[in-house]
Amino acid sequence: MKIALNILQAILIILGAPLVRGIVARCKAFLQRRQGASIWRPYYDLAKLFRKEDLVPPTASAVFRVVPFILFATTICAVAFVPLLQPAALLASHGDFFLFVYLLAIGRFFLSLGAFDGGSAFGGMGASREALISCLAEAPFLLSFVAIAILASHADIAGMVSWTLQQNFFNVSAVHILAFTSLGMVVIAETGRMPVDNPTTHLELTMIHEAMILEYSGTRLALIEWASAIKLHAMLALLAALFFPWGMASGASVGFVALSLPLYCAKIGLLIILLAVIESGMAKLRMYLVPDFLGVASAVSVLAVIFTFLAKR
Amino acid sequence: MILITPLLIMFLGACVVLVFRDSRVATRVALFIGGLEVASLAVIVWQVHEHGALRAGRYLRADALSSFFLINIAFISGLVLVYASSYLLHAGQRRFHSPRWFYALVFLFLFTMISVCLSANLGLMWIMMEGTTLASALLVGFYNTKGAVEAGWKYLMVCTVGIAFALFGTIVLYLAAVKAGMNPAAALDWASLMEAVPRIGLDPHLVKLAFVFVIVGYGTKIGFVPMHSWLPDAHAEAPTPVSALLSAVLLNCAMYAVIRYDAIVSHAAGAAFPHTLLLIFGVLSMVVAGLLILVQRNLKRMMAYSSVEHMGIIAIGLGLGGPLGLFGALLHIFNHSVGKSLLFFCAGNIRENLGTLRMDSISGMARTLPRTSIALVVGSLAIVGLPPFSLFVSEFAILSEAFSQARYTVAVLFLVVLSVVFGGFAYYLLHMLCGDASSKAPATGKIHASEYGVMGVAGACLLYFGVRIPHIFTVVVQDAMAVLR
Amino acid sequence: MGLVEVATGRILDSFSVFLFLTILLMAVSRRVSTSVLLFSVQSAIIAGEAFATGFRERLVEAYVIGVLIVVIKVIAIPRAFFGLVGHLKTSSDVKASTTPTQSVFIAAAMIYLSYVAVQSYGQSVHVSEDALAAPIALILTGAFLMVSRKKALMQMLGLMVLENGIFLAALTTTFGMPLVIEIGVFFDLLMGLLLMGVFAFRIRDTFDHLDVSKLRRLRG
Repeated sequence: MKIALNILQAILIILGAPLVRGIVARCKAFLQRRQGASIWRPYYDLAKLFRKEDLVPPTASAVFRVVPFILFATTICAVAFVPLLQPAALLASHGDFFLFVYLLAIGRFFLSLGAFDGGSAFGGMGASREALISCLAEAPFLLSFVAIAILASHADIAGMVSWTLQQNFFNVSAVHILAFTSLGMVVIAETGRMPVDNPTTHLELTMIHEAMILEYSGTRLALIEWASAIKLHAMLALLAALFFPWGMASGASVGFVALSLPLYCAKIGLLIILLAVIESGMAKLRMYLVPDFLGVASAVSVLAVIFTFLAKR
Repeated sequence: MILITPLLIMFLGACVVLVFRDSRVATRVALFIGGLEVASLAVIVWQVHEHGALRAGRYLRADALSSFFLINIAFISGLVLVYASSYLLHAGQRRFHSPRWFYALVFLFLFTMISVCLSANLGLMWIMMEGTTLASALLVGFYNTKGAVEAGWKYLMVCTVGIAFALFGTIVLYLAAVKAGMNPAAALDWASLMEAVPRIGLDPHLVKLAFVFVIVGYGTKIGFVPMHSWLPDAHAEAPTPVSALLSAVLLNCAMYAVIRYDAIVSHAAGAAFPHTLLLIFGVLSMVVAGLLILVQRNLKRMMAYSSVEHMGIIAIGLGLGGPLGLFGALLHIFNHSVGKSLLFFCAGNIRENLGTLRMDSISGMARTLPRTSIALVVGSLAIVGLPPFSLFVSEFAILSEAFSQARYTVAVLFLVVLSVVFGGFAYYLLHMLCGDASSKAPATGKIHASEYGVMGVAGACLLYFGVRIPHIFTVVVQDAMAVLR
Repeated sequence: MGLVEVATGRILDSFSVFLFLTILLMAVSRRVSTSVLLFSVQSAIIAGEAFATGFRERLVEAYVIGVLIVVIKVIAIPRAFFGLVGHLKTSSDVKASTTPTQSVFIAAAMIYLSYVAVQSYGQSVHVSEDALAAPIALILTGAFLMVSRKKALMQMLGLMVLENGIFLAALTTTFGMPLVIEIGVFFDLLMGLLLMGVFAFRIRDTFDHLDVSKLRRLRG
C-alpha cells in the first residue's frame, strides 16, 4: 500500500505539473486584471507540441538530440524524492537531499550543453546566464536543506518531513522561517520566475531559460516544457512538505489519503497565489542585480544554519 | 502648589508672549514673565531650605539638590533674558522677523529644564530631558543659515539617539527594581528607590548595565567625549543667548540626571563602578577638549570646547567622591555656568560689533571695544581657573581631593590640561586684543547698558565667589550633598 | 481556549523570528517606501506582542499600549513618512553606502551578536533568548541604518527602528512601564519626528539636497 501511495505521489506531481503552471498564469492574469487563458491550456499546448514535427539544426550533434530526454529523466527521478501525501517517497531510502539537488543540476547542465550545441548566439547567452544563476543558487539551496537536516538529524527529505510533522505548530522555529525564505528565493531563481526571469517574454535579450530552448521543437520541446513544469511543481510541493507538512497521511488507509489530498491542494494553492503575487508585484531584476538577490538568499540560509546551534530547539 | 507655579508660568508665558506682535511689547512681556519665574524659583528654594523636601502629587518633588540646580537656572536665565532683550532688539532685525517666537521657544526650553530638576519620577525626568532636545533644536537652528541647519540636524539626531540609550538604561533599572520586589508604580520614583535600595537587594549586574547606558545616554547631552560631536556645532551656530543657555543650564541639567542615577547605583552596587566610569569619561573629556581648544578658529567654538572640558572636570569631581570632591563638583557647576555666560555675552558683543567671530581676523579689540575686552579678559581668566575668581576655588577643591586620594595620574593630567588651556586662551586673547585695530568692519551698533549691566553682574559674581563664598550658598551645597548620601 | 493559551504563550518567541526577518529585509531594501512598509510591519508585530502580553498577564495597560502602537506607529508615522517623501520631492532611493549583499551579511552578523550579548542575561530575567535578542537586534539595526544610509529620511527611520527595539525590550522584560510614562515616551517620539520633518524641509531648502553625508561644513 505504501509503495502504491508513493507511485501515486510521483504520478500526481508529473501529471499535475501543467495544471500548476496554468493556475499560476491564471492568477497572474487575474492580478493584472486580464482575462487570462484557461487553466488547462498547458495540457493543450503539450498535446499540440507532441503532434508537431521535430526539427534539429544541421550543425547540432548527438548532444542536442539527447538533452530533452536526459532532462526529463533526471527531473522525474528527482520527483521520486518528494513526499506529497505521506512522509515517505518512492526513492526516499536511496538518497538524501544532496542527490535531489544534484539530479536537478544534472538536468540543468545538460540543458546548457544543448543550448550551446544548437549553435545560435542566444543559446550561448542564455546558457551563460543560467550558469551564473545556478552557480549562485546552489549555496542557499544546499544550506537551507542543511539547516533543517541538522535540526531533524535526518539527511533524506522524507525523514526531515516526518520530523517536522512531530513538532508543535506554534513553536515557530527561526531556522524554519529563515530556511523557507531562502528556499523560496532559490525556487524563484531555479524555476526561472519573476523577478529573476520572465517566463512569458518574447524579447530574446531578456530571456534566460527560454533562450536555451529556442532551437527545440516538437516532441523534444514538449518534453523540455513538461520537465520545467514538473520542476516547478516538485519544488512547490517540497516547500509545502518541508515547512507545512501537517495534514499528511500518517497511515496508509484510503481515509487518510482522502483527507490529505484536498489539504495538499489547498497548500499548493496558497503557494501558487503567493508566487503569483510576488511575480506580479516585482519588476524583473536587471542581470547585474540577480547576484545581489541570490546573495541575500545565501546570507539568509547561512543565518539559518547559524541559528541551528543558537536557538537550541 | 508652589512646585507647579514655575512650570505653569513658563508654559503659559510661552503662549502669552506669542500673542504680542510688536517686538518691544513682546520683549517687555517676556522680561516680566522672566521676573515672575525667577521669583517663583526663589520661593521654592526658600521653602525647601525651611521645610526640607517638598512633594506635589506623584511626579514632582523638590529637595536640596533640586533647589541648588534651580538657583543655577534662575540666576542664569535671568541674566540671559535681560541680555537677550537688548541683543535681539538691535541685532535681530537683520536675521529674523520678530522676537516673540524666540521668547516662546526659550520659555518652553526653560519649562522642560525646570521640569527635569523638579521631577520625582525617573521616567518623567527622561521625558523632560528629551523635551529639552526638542525645545532647543529649533533655537539652535534659529538663524536658518547653512551652518545653523546642519548644526540643528546634528544636535537633534545625536541627542535623540543618546537619550534613547538613556531610556534603555532607565528600563533596565526599572526591571531590576521590579524584579527585586518593589511595587511597579514606585519603582521609578527616586525617593522610594533611595529609601528601598539599602533594604532590598537589586541585582548588581543589571544595575551596572543600567548605569552604563545612562551615562552614555545622558553623557551625550552633557557632552562627554566621545559623544560630544554635536556640542561645538550647536553652541557655535546658535544665537548668543541660546548658546549661553545651552552651555550654562542644559549641560548642568543633564549632569543633574547623572548625579541622581549615580546616587542610586552607588547605594545598590557599590560606589566603585559608577565613580570609575565617571572618572574615565571626565578625564577623557577634559584631555580631548583641552587639546582641541588649541586648534580652534571660531571664538564660540573654542568656548564650546571649554564647556566640554569643564564638564569633564565636574565629572572628575563626582567620580572622586569624598566631601571635597563632591563639594568642588557642585560648586564648579555653578561657577562654570556664570563664567561661561559671561564669555558668551562677550562673544555676542564681538559678533554684533565686529561682524565676525574668527579669532585670526580680529585684532586691536582693546581699542575698539574697551569694555567688552575687559569683560573678555575677566571671563577668560576665570574660565582657565586663575585666582581670585571662583572657578579657582572649586578646581582647587577637586584637585586636593585627587591628591588626598593619591590619584596622582588624574591630578597631574588635570594640571597639565589646565596649563595647556591657559596657554591657548592667552594666545588667542592676546592676538585679539593687541595690535592695530583690524580694518574689517569698524565698531557698528551700540551696546546697551543692560548688556553691560548683565556682564558686570556676572563678573562681580565670579569675583565675589572667588574671594568668599556666601554662607547661605555653602549651606545650600552642603544640604544638596546630604541628599545624596 | 487551550489553543489560544498555547498560542499566546509562545507568541513572544515566535514573533521574534518574524522580527528578524523584517530586519534582514530592511537591510536590503533599496527604496524608502519599502523600508517604511517594513517598519510598519515591524510595529504591527510588536503591537501583536503587546496584545498577547495583555491577554496572558491580564493587564489592561498592555492593551492600551498595543492600541497606541497600532495608531501611532503602524498608521500615523508611515503615513507621515510617505507624505514627507511626496512633499520633499526627493528620489525614492535609499542612498545606501553598502551593497545589499554586504548589508544583509552585516544584519545577519548583528543578529548573531545580539544572541551572544543576551547569553548571560537569559536566566536572570526568565525570558527566552529569542525574545531578549530581538530587541537588541532591532537596536543594532536601527543604529546600522542611521550610519549606513545617507538620506536624511532614512536616518529618521533608523531612529524609529531603534526606539522600536528599546520599546520592545521594555515590553518583554517588564510588560511595559507605567502607562503615564509610556504615553509620555510616545508623545516625545511624535514631537521628535515632527521636528525632524521640519529640519528635513530646512535642509532641502538651504542645501538643495537631502544627503547628510554632504553636511560637513562644521568640522574640528
